[in-house]
Amino acid sequence: MITFALPKGRLAEKSAALLAKCGVDTAVLNEDTRKLVLESADGRCGFFLVKPADVPAYVEAGVADLGIVGKDTLIEEGRDLYEMLDLKMGECRLSIAGYPERRDVLTNPHLRVATKYVNTARRIFADREEIEIIPLHGSIELAPVTGLADVIFDVVQTGSTLKANGLVVLEDVYTGITARLVANKVCLKTKAEELLPLIEKLREAVK
Amino acid sequence: MSIKNLPQGVQDILPQECRVLWDVRERLTRAFEARGYAPVLSAAVEYYDTYAGIRNALPQERMFKFTDSDGRLLVLRPDATLSISRIAATKLPEPRARLYYFLDKWDAQSAGGGRTREIIQAGVERLGEEGAYSDAQTIAFAIDCMRETGLNDCILDVGHVGYMKGLLEECGLSDAQAEEVRASLNAKDGLNAERLLRGAGAGEETLSAVRALPTLFGGAEVFARAGRLTANARALAALAHLEKVHRILADMGYEKSVCFDLGTGKSLSYYSGIVFSGLVKEVGAPVLSGGRYDTLADDFGKHIPAVGFAIGLKRVLVALERQGNLPPQPASDVAVCCEEGAEGEADCLIKRFIAEGKRTTLAAEYGKDALKGVAAAEKYFVGKGGAEKL
Repeated sequence: MITFALPKGRLAEKSAALLAKCGVDTAVLNEDTRKLVLESADGRCGFFLVKPADVPAYVEAGVADLGIVGKDTLIEEGRDLYEMLDLKMGECRLSIAGYPERRDVLTNPHLRVATKYVNTARRIFADREEIEIIPLHGSIELAPVTGLADVIFDVVQTGSTLKANGLVVLEDVYTGITARLVANKVCLKTKAEELLPLIEKLREAVK
Repeated sequence: MSIKNLPQGVQDILPQECRVLWDVRERLTRAFEARGYAPVLSAAVEYYDTYAGIRNALPQERMFKFTDSDGRLLVLRPDATLSISRIAATKLPEPRARLYYFLDKWDAQSAGGGRTREIIQAGVERLGEEGAYSDAQTIAFAIDCMRETGLNDCILDVGHVGYMKGLLEECGLSDAQAEEVRASLNAKDGLNAERLLRGAGAGEETLSAVRALPTLFGGAEVFARAGRLTANARALAALAHLEKVHRILADMGYEKSVCFDLGTGKSLSYYSGIVFSGLVKEVGAPVLSGGRYDTLADDFGKHIPAVGFAIGLKRVLVALERQGNLPPQPASDVAVCCEEGAEGEADCLIKRFIAEGKRTTLAAEYGKDALKGVAAAEKYFVGKGGAEKL
């Protein structure tokens, strides 16, 4: 049996559709249920539905063989796993954003950065300047609007939320942030006969 | 802070689990001794300077550090191979030695995600030997050792650092850039590796080889694919070496337990040749890890080519439990109690059973009630008039 850790939220439907296209029986994912562990009718696949940020943990531990997760989460979590494929969906950027008229805040020695990507922010600012990180879990744009932070470091998809709040992108730090197929390092080798044909199908499907 | 709790990432091992651990240690000791390896122990505490200055050092944030009474910085053994390499270069009379150890190591950083900071391990080092035959023997013995612990369906995943290094050396990367590329490739993140290499001005031939690198794993068929990708002498030498190792392993009957991955580049910089990991599907991380480190001892003043591996015993226990292969917990074969005044008789009886090789329990209280709740196949009561079986 192949077990998948799949992200709830914006990538959920696209992930299920992609797997279905590659012959995985995903009917069970469309059922309205509160169960967290699901098994396909043919018994060949198991699915865990987890918060996107938790996908790498399940795959690194080998609890799930494969996972689908955004590159932003992979950068932030820094887990020891294989990144098999760029699934080319959910594309966005990881950017620093703030008010256009306060661009000089980037040279302020004590820049206050609001973000949910705490590790990544610490890393990218490490060589640049001293910062104070303000960890937040959502609605990051609110932080500069209310004066909680000078800038934010967050994913930017269309930029409409930024625009609506009078913020602009000051710097794109990582572009081409897309969903990736990740694999547990041991499972890829020990369950190669099961996993490799599926990975090949996925590779073809996203070409 | 409760005084009952331990710091993060360390564990007590309670009797039931400890018995299995000791059982595994005994099996491995027998296997090591049967192959002529000699035991060694290194000091658990060493000077930080020993490892800070050398190019193969572990990152300092991963070492547990404390200060000696004279103010010098000390570390808790961060790596067994480093210590044994130091011993070999500075204390052993001969450069050749086959050693085994049961040495724990401490990693200040790796707590969380099923990893511990105190790592219980067994391992072997073959010092002063080189060549494909030595490598193949080490790999075969690694498989034997995994099986010896009681594990089923073990796979040894073998790579060679020379292949990736060869591909990358043509790009003229700085050490820091090369490390970043290695880390990406080790995660099979070909996209990021390609981005970094493009930035460093790598040629199209290198890029297409690097693009293929994350897919170069499987059986012996990967050698042909890997060979077509490059003309680099170092990479091709690594391939030729692996093919030879594979030929020897096939001849020794280990072919089915071995697979190859040319995209591995372990983070420990001391590896210089083959690298390998022992895998079982029940555990999501390697239970065994090793490789060749021919230049490590140079930093301690002597050139001693060497190869070795370490087995993570905690992971072995987890795998044994998940495979349903835990050895049974033995109860006492015999339990003995006595009445006051018959202590000498009872002691003689116990010693007779022990001489017969039985596992025994002698009650601490007097009377037959003392054996209530004691699990044993046979129970005896010793009175002044003699022993009776209960």
